Amino acid sequence: MIKTVEINYRGIFQKNLAKKIGSDVVIIASKMGRVGMSNGRYSDSPERNGIPCKYFAFVTHDLAEEELEAEAGAKLDIDKADVSVVLDDTMCKGVEPWGWHGVRAINEKVIEGGAMVVVSKRDHADLLRFVPKKPYDWRLGIIEGEASLAGLWVNKDDFTHERALGAIAGVDPDVIGIEAVEAYLNAKSPKQPERAQAARDAYEEVRKTTKTIKANQGVEWKHELPVLPRWQDFGEGIVVPAVKREFQLGPLGQSRNEQFKRGTTKTQRPVVRFDLCTKCTLCWLECPDECFDQTKEGHYDVAYEYCVGCGKCAQICPVDECIVMVDELQFENEHSPWKAYEKDKKRYVEWAEEKKSRGRYIHPFITGTGLEHVTGKRVPMREREPHAKGA
Amino acid sequence: MSTGVAEPKEEEREKQKQVKSPAYEREELLNGCQAVAQAVRLADVDVIAAYPIRPYTEVMDAISKIIADGELDAEYIVADSEHSQFEIVKHASSVNARAFAGSSGTGWMYGFEALVVTASDRLPPVFLVGNRALDDPGAFGVEHNDAMALRDMGWLLVWVTTPQEALEHILLAYRIAEDKRVRMPCAVAMDGAFLTHSQHMVKIPSKSAVKQFLPPYDLAERRMHPDNPISVAPQVNEDWVMELRRQNWEAAKRARGVIKEAYEEFNGVFGERYTTPYFEEFMTDDAKVVLIGLGQVSAAGRTAARRLRAKGQKVGYITLRWFRPFPTHELRESLKRFHAVGVIDRDFAHGSVDDGGILLHEIRSLLYPVEKRPVVTNYITGLGGRDISIADCEKMFTLTQESVGRTEMNGQVTWIGLRE
Repeated sequence: MIKTVEINYRGIFQKNLAKKIGSDVVIIASKMGRVGMSNGRYSDSPERNGIPCKYFAFVTHDLAEEELEAEAGAKLDIDKADVSVVLDDTMCKGVEPWGWHGVRAINEKVIEGGAMVVVSKRDHADLLRFVPKKPYDWRLGIIEGEASLAGLWVNKDDFTHERALGAIAGVDPDVIGIEAVEAYLNAKSPKQPERAQAARDAYEEVRKTTKTIKANQGVEWKHELPVLPRWQDFGEGIVVPAVKREFQLGPLGQSRNEQFKRGTTKTQRPVVRFDLCTKCTLCWLECPDECFDQTKEGHYDVAYEYCVGCGKCAQICPVDECIVMVDELQFENEHSPWKAYEKDKKRYVEWAEEKKSRGRYIHPFITGTGLEHVTGKRVPMREREPHAKGA
Repeated sequence: MSTGVAEPKEEEREKQKQVKSPAYEREELLNGCQAVAQAVRLADVDVIAAYPIRPYTEVMDAISKIIADGELDAEYIVADSEHSQFEIVKHASSVNARAFAGSSGTGWMYGFEALVVTASDRLPPVFLVGNRALDDPGAFGVEHNDAMALRDMGWLLVWVTTPQEALEHILLAYRIAEDKRVRMPCAVAMDGAFLTHSQHMVKIPSKSAVKQFLPPYDLAERRMHPDNPISVAPQVNEDWVMELRRQNWEAAKRARGVIKEAYEEFNGVFGERYTTPYFEEFMTDDAKVVLIGLGQVSAAGRTAARRLRAKGQKVGYITLRWFRPFPTHELRESLKRFHAVGVIDRDFAHGSVDDGGILLHEIRSLLYPVEKRPVVTNYITGLGGRDISIADCEKMFTLTQESVGRTEMNGQVTWIGLRE
């Protein structure tokens, strides 16, 4: 028997965190007399900002290490996950990795009776607005928290690592046991009992919050998986036909690559108040992914499937409140915002303001000392202090 | 015959006996790259030249961390390319510095001019090749053609199958390469991704045990030093080359003996880690049919053999470790016992005899002088990092079993795992 743990994480921001969790699963399991190994999905590109990636840990009670290696170590991906950890709840909308796998369901590999543990501030019903249904019963556990950046050395440790270990023990003690997790953390940092305590708390929490999700509970999955061609079926010399260049005014008026959209990279998206827009073109010019489509009226629609949520448009937009970044889980589809605006302008504005009020991203300005911060406010251009000459 | 190994003084030997420290001091979760970095620390390497390319990159990352942590005192030189990287270690090696470098895929190929001269200068730095498919496309996955390109260049070339073996073979590589009778560069090849980036619990030897096993590097009369004024590799003309090649050949022949010695010494210090030096047989005692391959595919191959044995099939698996020098005599004696041999190639020899893989040609040529030759079939698989599953290995066993007694199947090449 092999127990497989999958850790879904966002490229670069959570790379070290995911690896630390996977590694510690193996170390703790081997301290329990089990055999384990871990690796990352090699076709991923974990150095790329925000791109969904996977790290794996494999544990067995009865197989020799070589057999585990043959079953799990010689594969680029897993077939099934007993436990799937999701370190950023916006990935519940689907994950399109850098390797050409298509947009995949977050719970694709979760087996019958298996568990998915999500770090989130949302409840089950809220997450199930995005998570696809399975043909069988499975379990969903939640550990309360925001997507952690603690794996980056510049960020403060927030115990997500320890809490994930506790949660894994909570949903499947055949992978690792909570006592072994506590013993390991205490031995590793005897002066920080709070680490083992964090694991224990998450263990209790996940045991309380985990719910069985019935077969067919969840959303219909709409993304098709790419079919890789046979050797006879594609051009020689690694020649790929270019996407035909087309440009029309209006939503999705530019030609784009249908095969790699990158939309699941985003954790936030720009909400545009077309009624405030001055048609200055800056968002359209500056967007690194060319996500803006010019309309006949000179406004700019957003192709959300291609938007990675970088926030550049919101930064560059000179009009107060015109483009605001909003938490991705506020949105259930990638429909054209311009079309919605055209259909009912008043309703669209109300909708946009409602989204902004619930999930607005705020970037605090750090003040001179760095010890206190104040909430940032966009200052209209005319009210800003003029730049010193020559600066 | 002089071994080139400094005999320890009597009192030192006594001291070594008294040291009760176990040969392996601790266990850590390490991937193949990190395991190699640990070996570089333990071998107390003097000069490391680095230039990144995945999957080798993590080796240099891990070594730089070890140096930054104060666990190794070494010159760590970041080169401007693989070519410079390999030139640096060649030169360091000529002034009696133990040197280490490595690369993968096309980066390895880029440094080839420096690699070939290291062999003809008979210098013994050790290199790690994290096997990677040659571009294009820029896939990161394993394919053995990169390291295989060394096969006719006067190098030592060995494949490992686990991170543990990777660590131990860096130590073995220095022991063999630096031996006075050998003095050849050595490449340790390790499957990219599946070994380089897979974490396993690895037993880390103690420094004292490594010291016991690995003598200091001593280039003696060939050490370039103001006190020993010599010139290395001056221009010579055409009338010298054949004799130089003959010298290199002699060293490779001697290396076979030194390899055997080194494993015996290794076992003496670290316990019975390796039953045989050049290759390792698994379930071959009464086997009719065997598969033979290089590198990490052995896990799936041996698991498949074990499972087919449980069904009563007489199959075995042979992990070939040393590719250069090729263990001609020993492997011939081993393989002639079987009715059929299936050769697994994680490489492809484009346009070669029967359009097979590199290992096929070596094995078939190896068996030609044998009177009752086994049928030799070939499996091209796992190219560019394609998975080789246990089921794939079972399929290769089945095809090899079908070839028994059918000489018309000699040299039959089958692609396993291809979308067709």
